[in-house]
Amino acid sequence: MTQEHGTPSRRLKFEIFRYNPEDENSEPHSDVFEIDETPFMSLYIALNKIRELHDPGLQFDFACRSAICGSCGMVVNGRPALACRTLTSDLPEDIQLYPLPAFKLIGDLSVDTGTWFRGMGERTEAWIHERQAFDPEAEEERMSDDIAAAIYEGDRCIECGCCVASCGVANLDDEFLAGAGMNRVARFMMDPRDTRSEAEWFDVVAGDRGVFGCLGMMACADVCPKELPLLEVYAYLRRKTLGARFAARHEKKGSA
Amino acid sequence: MRNSQTSAMAAARRELAYEVISGGSGLLLALFMWGHVVLVGSILTGERGFDWMATMLEDYYIAQPTVFVIFTLFLVHAVFAARKIPSQLRERKQILQLAKGLSQSGREKVVTRTEYSPFRPHVESLLWIWQVRTGMIMLVLGSFHLVLLGIDIFTPLYGDIAGIEASTSTARVSAGLWLPYAVLLLCVEFHASVGLYRLAIKWGADLWLSRKTMHRLEQVIFWVVLVLGGVTLIVLAGWMDPPLAFLLDGTST
Amino acid sequence: MSARLITTDVLVVGGGLAGERCAIEAAAAGYEALILSLVPPRRSHSCAAQGGMQASLANCARAEGDNPTVHFLDTVRGSDWGADQEVANIFADEAPIAVRELAHFGVPWSRVRGGKNKYFIKGEHVEIDEALENDGLIGQRDFGGTAKWRACYAAAGTGHAALYAVDSEVVRLGITVQDRTEAVSLIHDGSRCLGAVVRCLRTGRHFAVMAKATVIATGGYGRIYGQYTSNAVINEGTGASIALDTGIVPLGNMEAVQFHPTTLSPSGILVTEGCRGDGGYLLDKNMHRFMVEKEPAKQELASRDVVSRHMQQTMRDGNGVDSPYGPHLWLDIRHLGEKHLRTKLLEVWDICRDFVGLNPVNDLIPVRPTQHYSMGGIRVNKDGESYGLAGLFAVGEAACWDMHGFNRLGGNSLAETLVAGRLVGRRVAEHAAGVSLRADTGYAFDAIAAAEQRATSWLSRAGKGRSIYEIRDAMGETMMHKVGIFRTGDELNEAVNELQALLNDCDNAVLRCKDPGVNPELGFALRLKGMLRLAMTVAMGARARTESRGAHFRSDFPLRNDEEWLNRTLVRWAMDESEPSFSYEPTGLIDLPPGHRGYGSDERIEMQRSIDSYNETVVHEQAQHGRLPSSEEMGSRLKCGAWQAYA
Ligand SMILES: Cc1cc2nc3c(=O)[nH]c(=O)nc-3n(C[C@H](O)[C@H](O)[C@H](O)COP(=O)(O)OP(=O)(O)OC[C@H]3O[C@@H](n4cnc5c(N)ncnc54)[C@H](O)[C@@H]3O)c2cc1C
Ligand code: HEM
Ligand code: HEM
Ligand code: SF4
Ligand code: F3S
Ligand code: FES
Repeated sequence: MTQEHGTPSRRLKFEIFRYNPEDENSEPHSDVFEIDETPFMSLYIALNKIRELHDPGLQFDFACRSAICGSCGMVVNGRPALACRTLTSDLPEDIQLYPLPAFKLIGDLSVDTGTWFRGMGERTEAWIHERQAFDPEAEEERMSDDIAAAIYEGDRCIECGCCVASCGVANLDDEFLAGAGMNRVARFMMDPRDTRSEAEWFDVVAGDRGVFGCLGMMACADVCPKELPLLEVYAYLRRKTLGARFAARHEKKGSA
Repeated sequence: MRNSQTSAMAAARRELAYEVISGGSGLLLALFMWGHVVLVGSILTGERGFDWMATMLEDYYIAQPTVFVIFTLFLVHAVFAARKIPSQLRERKQILQLAKGLSQSGREKVVTRTEYSPFRPHVESLLWIWQVRTGMIMLVLGSFHLVLLGIDIFTPLYGDIAGIEASTSTARVSAGLWLPYAVLLLCVEFHASVGLYRLAIKWGADLWLSRKTMHRLEQVIFWVVLVLGGVTLIVLAGWMDPPLAFLLDGTST
Repeated sequence: MSARLITTDVLVVGGGLAGERCAIEAAAAGYEALILSLVPPRRSHSCAAQGGMQASLANCARAEGDNPTVHFLDTVRGSDWGADQEVANIFADEAPIAVRELAHFGVPWSRVRGGKNKYFIKGEHVEIDEALENDGLIGQRDFGGTAKWRACYAAAGTGHAALYAVDSEVVRLGITVQDRTEAVSLIHDGSRCLGAVVRCLRTGRHFAVMAKATVIATGGYGRIYGQYTSNAVINEGTGASIALDTGIVPLGNMEAVQFHPTTLSPSGILVTEGCRGDGGYLLDKNMHRFMVEKEPAKQELASRDVVSRHMQQTMRDGNGVDSPYGPHLWLDIRHLGEKHLRTKLLEVWDICRDFVGLNPVNDLIPVRPTQHYSMGGIRVNKDGESYGLAGLFAVGEAACWDMHGFNRLGGNSLAETLVAGRLVGRRVAEHAAGVSLRADTGYAFDAIAAAEQRATSWLSRAGKGRSIYEIRDAMGETMMHKVGIFRTGDELNEAVNELQALLNDCDNAVLRCKDPGVNPELGFALRLKGMLRLAMTVAMGARARTESRGAHFRSDFPLRNDEEWLNRTLVRWAMDESEPSFSYEPTGLIDLPPGHRGYGSDERIEMQRSIDSYNETVVHEQAQHGRLPSSEEMGSRLKCGAWQAYA
C-alpha cells in the first residue's frame, strides 16, 4: 500500500448535535465523544462505534454505507457531506457533526429528506409524460446511446440533500427546487420520451422557486457527492426559459 | 385550477423579468465602472489630461445624460437586486452561519488527508454575503458621489467653469474625501468582479470557461482594477505625482 | 403518526423495486395501496444494484439466438435444479416485458451502437460488428452463468435507474408511501392475514394497518451475517422474520445463501464482477495468482460460488493478507490502465477512493468474499401468495417464489423484482376484489398491545446483560465462519449451539438507552431476536441438508444428491416454540431433468425415480405443506420439452 491511512495514535473528538423532539426534557445541545481512530475509519464506522460504546440513543441514518443510497447526509465540520464516504483521515482531530439544515429534524443527526424529495417530485411532476399506454407486445422505442448516456448522467443524483442543505435559498424556502430539483427537471426535459413542451415547463422552472430563485452561491455544486454538474444545469435552464419567454412573445405577436 | 396555473405563469414571467433587470443592470454598471477607471485614471497623465477628457465629455453632452442613466441604473439595480436579500435578521444570520461554515471547512491542516479528500474549499456563498454588504455601503457612498458629480456637471461650485475639473477633484479628495472614496473603490471593484463572475456562472457555466478559470479571471480583474483605481486615488489626493505625466510632456501648454 | 388504526385495500411492506412495482399494479387496477418502508423508497437497497437485469431481448451480436427458453435453461441450471421450473418459465417469458416497461417508465437503458464495437473479453480486446438495424435498441452485456449476453444495463447504475423510474410511477399514481415505518408483526386470525402492526420510526409509536391483502417485499436478510455482507444495514430480514413469527407461514430454503467473491475488506462494499470480467486478477499474500492452478480453465471467471470457495480456502491455508479486520486477498486491476478504470469501471474507482483511500491504478484492492444474496425467504405459490395465510403475499428478495433455487444468477434478481411485482400485483388486486375489509379490529388491537408490550418489556428490563450490539457481532462471526462458504456438520452443530446461546443472551440483554421516541437501541433490540431466529433457521437448515447444491456446500457431503435432496426446505417457527420445525416439499414440476450445470463438478448422486413419478406427487404434496391454490392451474405455464431444441 502506498499511503498510511490515519495515524493510529490519533484520538478523535466528536462534537455532535443532540436533540430528541419526542423527549420533553430534551433541549438542543452538543455532546462530545472521544474514540480512537482506526485505519480506513469512515464516519459510518465512527458513529456506530460511538453509539455502541458511548451513547446507544444517538440517532443517525445509514443504509447502503457505500455512497449510493443518499441516506447519510450530515454537516461535517461546516459542510454537508455523505458521512459513509467521509474518511476520518481527511478530517482534523476535532470533528463537528450537525444534522442537515433545510430539512425537518427527526432527532440528533437524522433529518427527513424523504418528504422534501417526494414534494419536489410532485411539484415538478418528475415522471415521463407520455400519451400512449405501454404495449407489452411491442419492441422498445429506439433511442441513441448518447442520449441515453446523457439522461443517465442526470439520473445519477442520489437525493442525499447535501445540495439543498448547503444552499442559502433552500434553507429559507422549503419549496425552492435547489440543485437536485433543477437537475431532475433538466433530466426530464432532455428525455425525448417526455412530451412536455417548454411552455409547460415554464412556470415550474422560471420563477423564484426555480432557476431564478438561485443566487448563484454555487455551494450545491461544491458539496454534491456525485459531482453532478449542477451549475451547468442551472445555466442551461436559465437560457432555455429565457428563450421560451421570447418564443412565447413572438408567437403572441404573430397570432395577434 | 386554470386560474392558479395562469397566475403561477404570470409570477414566473415577472420573476424572470426581475432577474434579467437586476442582472442586466449589474452587468451595465460593471462595464461602466471599467470605463470609469480609465476616465478618472486620466489623472495619471496629469491634470491636463483629466481636464481635457472631462471637458470633451461635457462638450459633446456625453457626461450629462450618462449621470442620469447611471444613477437610474444604480437605483434600479439596487432595488431589484435587494429583492433577494432576506428580510429577516434571523434568516440573514442563518445564511451567514451556513456560508461561514462552508468557507472554513476543508481548510484545516490535516496531516493524514488523502489526495482524494472530498473537501474542496468553497467561498462563493460568503462572497455573496459580501456582495450584499458592499452593495449596501455603495448605496450610501455611491449615491453621495453621484449627487456630487451631478452637481459638478450641472452647476459651477468651486471654480468658475461648470463641470468636472481636476483641481476641484483633487481639492476635495485631498481634503478628506479620499477615505470614503477608498472604501467605495474597494466595494465597487469587489462587488463588480464577483458579480460578473456570478453572472457568467449563472448564465453560462456550461458554455465558456471552466469555473476555476472564471474564478481566477475574476480575481485577476479585481486586483488589476483595484490597483489602477488605488493609484488614481493616491494621485487625486496629491500624495504622488502623476506617474504618466511624461506622456503629455511633449505637447505645448 | 397519530392514528392507531388505518385501513387500506393493499398494504405493501417494503418500498424497493419489488414492493413498488407490486403497488403500482394494484393501484392501476383501482385499489388503494399503501407502501411502508424503513427509508424513503429510493434509498431501498435495490438502488445498489449496478450490473444489470437479465432479459432475453437478443438485441446484440453476442445475444443472437437468445429467447426465453434459453434463459429458462440458464436459470434452472444456475439454481442447481433447486428452482421451481414453472416459475422460472414464467419469469423468463416476462422478463423482456419488464425491461421494456422500465424503458416506458423512463429508465435510460444503455443502447446498442450499430457498427463496430470494441469489447474486452477474457482479457483481450475484441471487435464485434453490431447489426445496424439493432442500433438504438436496449443494449446487453455479459454476465456469469449465461449462454448469451442478456443483462440489460443502465451504465453502472441499473438498480438506481430502475428504482427511480419505478418510484416516479408511484409518485405519478399518487400512491401513499409512509417512509420511516417498520412492520413489526402481522395481524391474522389463523387462516387469513388482516394487516400488520407498524412502528413509526419518527416517534417510536405503534399503529396498525388493516388491509384486504398484505404484501411483504422487504428484501434480503444479509445482515444476519453481521458485517460480512454486501447488503445495506437495513437488510435485516424483518419481513421474513414477522412471517416466521406467525408459526403458520413457512420460509423456504433458508440455507441457500449466496456469497460474492469480491467485496471490499473490511466494509463489505461490493466490487463488481466486472473487474474480473475485464481481466482483473486475484492475488494472495505472496502476490501469487492462486486461481490459475485451482481452476485452470476459467481461472478468476469461474462461477461466484466456486471462486468464493477457493478464496476462502486460500485464506484458511494462511495465505491471506493480515489486517486489523481479519485476513483478505488482493484484487489487482492495475494492468487495465487508468483510462479503462476511469470510464468502464468508474464506480470501482470511486469506491476505492472513497472507502479505502486508494487508487486502483497504482494500488491493490483488498477484497474478501461475503454474503450477498438471500435465495430463501417467505415461501409463496406462483401467485406470490404465502403458504398458510390467505391474503399474505411476498415478492422480491424477501420471497421464495422460487426461481433461484440454490444459486441465483447475477442479474436475475432485479428482473425478478419487476416480473414478480407485476404478476403478484395483479393477483393481489384479484384477491382484494374478492374479499371485504373485516371490521373486527380486535385482532389489530391485540397485536398492537403485544408489540407495545415487547417494547416496554425491553425498556423495563434491568440488571446486567450483554449488549445487543455484542450479540449482533457474535451472530455475524458465527454465521460467516460456521455457516459460511464451506459448511460441515461439526461446525454447523457449533453454530446452532452458539446461536441458541445468543438467543438466550438476547432474552436477558439489557438496554442502556431508555429514551422515549425513536430510541435506536430499542429499535434494533426489537429486530435482533427475529434476526437470530432467521440465523437459526439458516444454520439448522444447512445442518439438515446433507448434500451440496449451488451455494450450499457441505465439505462433508460434497456431492449434489438428487435422490434424496431434490426438494425444498420449509421451516416454521412460532414465537413461543423453542425450536423450528422443518419439512421438505418437492421442488416443483420438473421439465428439465436434473443434470450437469455445464460448469463446476459433474459428479452427483442421480435420482432413481422417473421424472413422471416425481411430478405426480408434486401437486398433492405441496398442498399438504400449505400451498394455497393459485389462480391458474399448476403447471399451466410450463412449456414442456421446449428446452430440448437448445440443450
Ligand atoms: C451490492 C448489490 C448489488 C447487486 N447487483 C445486482 C445486479 O447487478 N443485478 C441483479 O439482478 N441483482 C443485483 N443485486 C440484488 C438485487 O439488488 C436485490 O435482490 C433486489 O434489489 C431486491 O429488491 P427488493 O425490492 O426485493 O428489496 P429491497 O430493494 O431491499 O427493498 C426492501 C424494502 O423493504 C423495506 N423494509 C424492510 N423491512 C421492512 C419492514 N419491517 N417494514 C417496512 N419496510 C421494510 C425497506 O425499507 C425497503 O424499502 C444486488 C444486490 C446487492 C446487495
Ligand atoms: C446600489 C448599491 C448596490 C446594491 C445594494 C447591490 C446589490 C446587489 C445584490 C444584492 C446582488 C446580488 C443579486 C443576486 O444574486 O441576484 C448584486 C449583484 C450584482 N451587482 Fe450589485 N448592488 C449595488 C451596486 C452595484 C454596482 C454599482 C455594480 C456595478 C459595478 C453592481 C454590479 C452587480 C453585478 C454585476 C451583480 C451580479 C448580478 C447577478 O448575479 O445576477 N452592483 N448587487
Ligand atoms: C456618470 C457617473 C459618474 C461620474 C461622472 C463619475 C466621476 C468621477 C470623478 C470625476 C471622480 C474623481 C473624484 C471626484 O471628482 O470626486 C470619481 C471618482 C470615483 N468614482 Fe465616480 N463617477 C461616476 C459614477 C460612479 C459610480 C456609479 C461609482 C460606484 C458606485 C463611482 C465610484 C468612484 C470611485 C470609487 C472614485 C474614486 C476614484 C478612483 O479611485 O477611481 N463613480 N468619479
Ligand atoms: S444533486 Fe448531488 S447533492 Fe444534490 S441531492 Fe443529488 S446527489 Fe445529493
Ligand atoms: S447553492 Fe443555491 S443559490 Fe444557486 S447555485 Fe446552488 S442553488
Ligand atoms: S449510507 Fe447510503 S449514501 Fe451513505
